Order: sequence, then structure tokens, then C-alpha cells
Amino acid sequence: MNDDTPTIEGPPEQEGPPPNEPSESSGGPRRLLRSSGDRVIAGVAGGLGRYFGIDPVVFRIGFALSILFGGLGALAYLLLAVFVPTDADPDAVQRFGSRLRGAGFWRTVGLIAIGVLVLAGLCTLAGMAAFAVGLGWGVPTAIVIIAIGGLLILAAFRGGARWLIAPAVALAVGGGVAAASDLDLRGGVGEREYHPVSVRSIPEDGYRLGAGRLIVDLRDLDWGKHRVVDLDVSLGMGQANVFVPKRVCVSGSTHTGVGESEVAGERNSGTDVDHSPGVGSVATPRLDLDADVDVGQLRVINSDTADVDVSGYGPGPFHEDSGPQRAAEARACGTG
Amino acid sequence: MRFDPVSLASGAAIAALGALLLFDSAGTVDVSLGWMAVALTGAVGAILVLSGLLGRNGRHD
Repeated sequence: MNDDTPTIEGPPEQEGPPPNEPSESSGGPRRLLRSSGDRVIAGVAGGLGRYFGIDPVVFRIGFALSILFGGLGALAYLLLAVFVPTDADPDAVQRFGSRLRGAGFWRTVGLIAIGVLVLAGLCTLAGMAAFAVGLGWGVPTAIVIIAIGGLLILAAFRGGARWLIAPAVALAVGGGVAAASDLDLRGGVGEREYHPVSVRSIPEDGYRLGAGRLIVDLRDLDWGKHRVVDLDVSLGMGQANVFVPKRVCVSGSTHTGVGESEVAGERNSGTDVDHSPGVGSVATPRLDLDADVDVGQLRVINSDTADVDVSGYGPGPFHEDSGPQRAAEARACGTG
Repeated sequence: MRFDPVSLASGAAIAALGALLLFDSAGTVDVSLGWMAVALTGAVGAILVLSGLLGRNGRHD
């Protein structure tokens, strides 16, 4: 599978290179060409490996892994196979690509698609770094980023490795934002909906979800007249919803790292959104809430009729007017 | 052997960002999102400025 195809690093063994073979002796810039010797499918990984001076296996593994993340790798491979020429006589794929390039429109589309794919790949890297940090692997992620930085420094004395800069920055941005926003994705992924009917059925450490939609509907509880319910809610990324009857005073503290907070009619957004509803109120019945959403939206809805299935994103009854909830909170907490 | 100052500066900036992430993850410091944004945009901006100033011809023998 791996032939000894002449590479740009190797000395020329013939009088002249093949038609498309890149050569340092020519003095021209290096060209990215598909490899005719080191190829599994179309020689894309072999060509990339030769161009960047690293083992093509790295690219093959990268393409294979990226298929698991939405198939972007397969699309990228296909585009590179069609639009990047081979270093030998044109093969069927190159002839097909030549026909496409003959039409300027398709070339433009191809270039745009490659640009979009590169951008999507960088976003995927950033997302993977954020995910790793959110799962508690912040230290290993940081070590990987430092190692890549060290590699860049070493490579600077051997001609540089600028192609590493963009992926490294993507990793640093994803990991950095996740760490700074204290993103915590432990606790599962998906949608969780709880309707506790008694205080004892509420877990002592509250409700927790890593990423997704968390719904805690406390309107089936027997609130009585003097009941105070303590509730902890923690969400890494997504939307957390807490529903209480409108006669219940909502007090405690809420924190949203990045996103929107809508607590008993008070709506705020941005970074590090802190809110302390019902400050100092001893009115009963009362919900003493400690809620923390790292990235996303926190909604504490004090309404008897609100529908848990209405996510609240975009225009809707609770985004149009939150006045009734503020009024209910003021009445329930005795602050009106 | 050619020397590439852009790779050197980028490597230093990325290693510094990694160190910041390491300290934050280890609990040594608590970096707020605002300060992390400053660090990230500063590092990326420095890399872009240096790359723009030196370009491909910034490599030295």
C-alpha cells in the first residue's frame, strides 16, 4: 500500500519529477497534491501527510473519527479528492474534478464548501474541548493545549507549523470558555421532567442535569399554608424550568453563567446573571431556590396555567408579558 | 534551518492560554468569563497581527 513515491523531502531519483510532482528544486511554492503511491482510496491522506510532513495515518484516523461526528470528514475527503489534483497522471476522480473546475461556478461552490467545512471542523474541535472540560477533564485538556503550544515553539526553529495554530486556538477557545463559565456536564444528557407530589420525594441534593432540558414542576405538591420547600437545581447546558403555583413566594438565589434568566417575571440575560428573588421575605408558602445554569436558560415560572411543553424560546405568552408573574411574586412574597 | 517567529509567538500564546485553563481547572485561580474573553481575544488578536505583519516572508534562514 505504501510505495516509495518521491516526496518533496526526498532527493529526486529520476532526471525530472512526474508532471505534477512538487519539487523544492523548482523553487516554486509547495503544492498540495494527492498521492498516487501512498493511497488507500484517493490518496488524500497521503498527499496531506506529505504536504504537512507528518504521517498520513494521522489524517486517516482523523477522517475516520470525524465521520462519527456528523460525517464532515467524509464530505471533506470527497471534496479534496475531487478538487485536489494527483501527483501522477490524472485519474478518473481528477478528470471528473477537471470537468467541474471547467465550470467556474462549481469551483466557487467547492471552495466555499471547503471553507465551510474547515470552519465546521474548527467549531467541532472547540465543542469537543468544551465538552471535555464540562465532563471534568479540564486538566488533561489544558495539558494537551500546552503541549501543542510547546510543539509550535519547537517547530518555529524548524520552519514553523502554522497549520497547527488554528486547531490549537479552537481548542483553547472551547476549553477556556467552558472552564470560565464553570460548565458542568456531569449528570446526564437529555430531557428530564419531574413532578414531585410530596416534599420527601424531592432528592436532598436536588435535581441535576448535564446537558438538555430539565423540568421540575412543583405544582402538584401540597404546599399547605406555611410550607417552605428547599430546592437545588443544577444544569450544565440547556434549559432549566421550575414551575410553582402563583400563590408561592419564590426566594433564594439563581445564577446563569451565560444565557438568559427569567425568574418570577424578572428577565435578564448576558454573562454571570445573578438574581435573588424575594429577598428577605418570610412569607409562606415559599420556595427557597438555589438554581445554577452554566450555559443556557433558567426559567422559574410562578403560574398555575403555564404549559411545561412550551419551551419559551422566541415569542410566546411568557416572553410577551411577564407582568402577571411579577405581580404574583409581589403578592406572594408580601413585597407588593 | 528556517526560523518562523509567527509559530514561536503563537505557540507561546497558546501555551499561556493552556496554562490559564490548567490553573482554572485545578482551582488555583478562578477566571471569570470576562477575563477569559479578554485573554482569548488578546491572544488571537496578537497572533493575527503578527501573522499579518510578517506574512509568509517572515521566516528567516
